[in-house]
Amino acid sequence: MGNIMSASFAPECTDAKVKYDDCFNNWYSEKFLKGKSLENECTELWDEYITCVNTALAKQKIKPMLDKAREDQPFSKEEIQADVKEHYERTGK
Amino acid sequence: MRLFQTSHYFNYPWEQVTAANWKKYPNELSTHVVSVDILDRSINVERQVLRTERLIACKQPIPSWLSCIVGGQDRSFIREVSEVNLKEKTLVMKSHNMTMNHILQVNETVIYRPDGDVPEKRTIFDQQAEITAYGSFKRICEKIEEWSVERFGQNARIGKMGFETVLEKINKTW
Repeated sequence: MGNIMSASFAPECTDAKVKYDDCFNNWYSEKFLKGKSLENECTELWDEYITCVNTALAKQKIKPMLDKAREDQPFSKEEIQADVKEHYERTGK
Repeated sequence: MRLFQTSHYFNYPWEQVTAANWKKYPNELSTHVVSVDILDRSINVERQVLRTERLIACKQPIPSWLSCIVGGQDRSFIREVSEVNLKEKTLVMKSHNMTMNHILQVNETVIYRPDGDVPEKRTIFDQQAEITAYGSFKRICEKIEEWSVERFGQNARIGKMGFETVLEKINKTW
């Protein structure tokens, strides 16, 4: 839709990210939200993008910080379900 | 620890709000966000849930004088995990800062869901944050002291070297 896409933290991954984002956003609006597809169709673009990201995370030494963050705060589905429950109890309808 | 809570609504259907959420950055007002990356994405078919982990980089939000003291990184990182639940029509986003969290930890939970009164037209936004500051003034002061001592040492070394060159020059004409 010609939207400006945000950059990747690693400039070398921005191209791959923009391509993946385009594909994902289209899938999300046109298929996922409409209940037409529960299968991500952007796998090739994803593979290319995430490979770039993982390399950059290691190179820029962000990986250890990320590993620790994941350990500290798993943000599990149970935790998220509890948040939703708490939200409805607090706000109603 | 301090709690922050706010809620308001958007006059758009929930579906549209969640789609826009992926395109939120860049925007004119949030110029502090410099990058957004997707780290992980999975779909739980049975639950109809799309789970996403993102890495968001911001320009350092702290004053420059403080960044001098606590370490001068040019950007800070936030990790966010979100779940779009298609069955329940909820979007939950949980995030926390990964940088500077030895000084300040912000844990945020945002929920978007349709407004029960006008579910097709309006989306409720609910935001909660737990903010915990670590390191008392004492610790910050200690850091300033530590930094000052270090700088003093550096300057002392430079001063000594400078004086050496002056001494050397004078020695030649002595």
